[in-house]
Amino acid sequence: VPDLTAESPDERLDQLVELVVELASGHLGARMPPSEAGDRIDAVTVGLNMLAEELQALSEDLEQRVVERTHQVEQAHRQLERLALYDPLTGLANRTLLADRINQAMTGVDRGAQPPAVLLLDLDGFKVVNDSFGHVVGDRLLVEVARRLQEVVRETDTVARLGGDEFAVVAAATTATRAIEIAGRVQDALKRPIQAGPHQCWVGTSIGIRMAEPGHTAETLLRDADTAMYVAKGQGRGGVRFFEPAMHATALVRVRVAEELRTAISSDQLEMHYQPIVELEGARTVGVEALVRWRHPVRGLLGPEHFIDVAEDTGLVVPLGGWVLDTAITQLARWRAGVLGRAGFAMHVNVSPLELRSPSFAEDVLGRLARARAAATDLVVEITETQLMGEDPQTARTLDTLRSAGVGVAIDDFGSGYSSIGYIRRLFVDTIKIDRSLVSDVDTDPQQHRVAAAILTLVEAFGLTAVAEGVETAAQAEHLRALGCRYGQGYLWGRPVPVEAMTGLLSAAVQEPAPRS
Amino acid sequence: MGGDTESELDLTFRRDERGIVWITWPRGIHIDGPMAREGMDRLALYNGGRKQPTIVEMVGVAGLTREARQVFTGECCATRMALLGASPVERVIANFALAASRYATPIRFFATEDAAVDWLTRAGPDR
Repeated sequence: VPDLTAESPDERLDQLVELVVELASGHLGARMPPSEAGDRIDAVTVGLNMLAEELQALSEDLEQRVVERTHQVEQAHRQLERLALYDPLTGLANRTLLADRINQAMTGVDRGAQPPAVLLLDLDGFKVVNDSFGHVVGDRLLVEVARRLQEVVRETDTVARLGGDEFAVVAAATTATRAIEIAGRVQDALKRPIQAGPHQCWVGTSIGIRMAEPGHTAETLLRDADTAMYVAKGQGRGGVRFFEPAMHATALVRVRVAEELRTAISSDQLEMHYQPIVELEGARTVGVEALVRWRHPVRGLLGPEHFIDVAEDTGLVVPLGGWVLDTAITQLARWRAGVLGRAGFAMHVNVSPLELRSPSFAEDVLGRLARARAAATDLVVEITETQLMGEDPQTARTLDTLRSAGVGVAIDDFGSGYSSIGYIRRLFVDTIKIDRSLVSDVDTDPQQHRVAAAILTLVEAFGLTAVAEGVETAAQAEHLRALGCRYGQGYLWGRPVPVEAMTGLLSAAVQEPAPRS
Repeated sequence: MGGDTESELDLTFRRDERGIVWITWPRGIHIDGPMAREGMDRLALYNGGRKQPTIVEMVGVAGLTREARQVFTGECCATRMALLGASPVERVIANFALAASRYATPIRFFATEDAAVDWLTRAGPDR
């Protein structure tokens, strides 16, 4: 009771006032020891201490929770940012982030920095991989491509996936020479085969480059790089092109061609013409090459050179190839049942390398033959030499399956590209079609004559059959015959003609075996 | 009457003739979390694990931390627990101890022994 108090109640009340002031000013750790009296003032003191402790604990809890929530919000924000700015499959920047990086670089240009270069690329043959092996394999391929692209750029450069098989590199502060170097490294990186799951895939790439100039926006640069890329693709796989303003018109034409071709395939605008393949000795027709034509409602009759590239870039090569095969095989069966009888004959059909890389292609061809009741031995597929890329095992399997079933394989335009003896040796062909460029001067240019002679010797040595293309004069035909070439094709014997005209020509009896082994 | 028990924490345990267990905290103690846990453990030991009606004598207890109060909301070896204190300080402390919304054991504050005993014995074995 009161004697135990060390201080007078008034002093303790003063201390209590100080405690309240300190707590009020935010010092929640402030406490006041109670006296030993245990009286009402001590009760208030203890109560205040305990309230302060409670308040301090709640405040700390709250702070802790704020820290945790802030962290969670930051994490969610980062995750959203990733979703918004990065490609979830490859982890590369997406189009939004890429545009942002380009715009950043362009801001630097306004302050006098060197402009960036935008490189746009897509993968040649990706669609076939995806269609043939499925999206899982396609996705693995894209992930590996992304990894390789990141390996060949500087840290200051940005690699982005714009969607599908389209990628872009923004090389900061870059000269044209350096941009070309990067393009070269990208192409080297993608030349090596890519193991995607159980499948080894070959993809090349064509690259369009747009060197930025002050005032350019990301949108302009990407559009121009895209245009340049399409021009690069149009000039053969693996090309690199810088953007030039004149390219825009070309790009627009390609877009229109693609749209119109889609309509053409489904609305009977395609027609097949046939050019005779003859035996040089006696000029008998032993086969025909089926050549697709497009009867364009405005532009008239168009040869494949006007639309094949677009078809391959847009995937239209699949329905187009299907139409070509069906038409040729059906016609083959009709001729066999009519004018041909049992005479030796071969229907030559051009096949896209993209089709050959599809695992279902061989089966598809054999299925079409069976449905038309046509003999596999009457069909020859022609592959352009320049398009036979690398050592694609799927192409080899396709050709092997076709040949086992009796279908012949011819290399088209031999001598026009990287004429490889390897193709002749690799035992997956039966016929070599010698390019017109080697035929044109065979009768007048001794050098050409020697080259033609050498190729024919090789063809003979490997037990294959040669067909000379683009034969226009009797003199050329005679020289080729003298060199041991057995078959020829060209204006000397006839241009490609519609089916009715060819039926008439074939009626003039075909008896010798077809030009194939 | 049960025997007294002591340890480094100067807690006293005894059982009276009505079977009520008395825990007495030393004077001037400021009970923190570890002390509260030790008190609960030693009560369980004293009771041999059987729950008993319990009186906690708070006379002279100077303070009770937040952590200690949380210990008292948990499971303990008592059917009911009466907090017994006489001074305003003890009343304040006890009522802080009772401020939690849920207790594993019924707990109340009493200013007199009679009221505490009445509440403990009026109840059934568990309440």
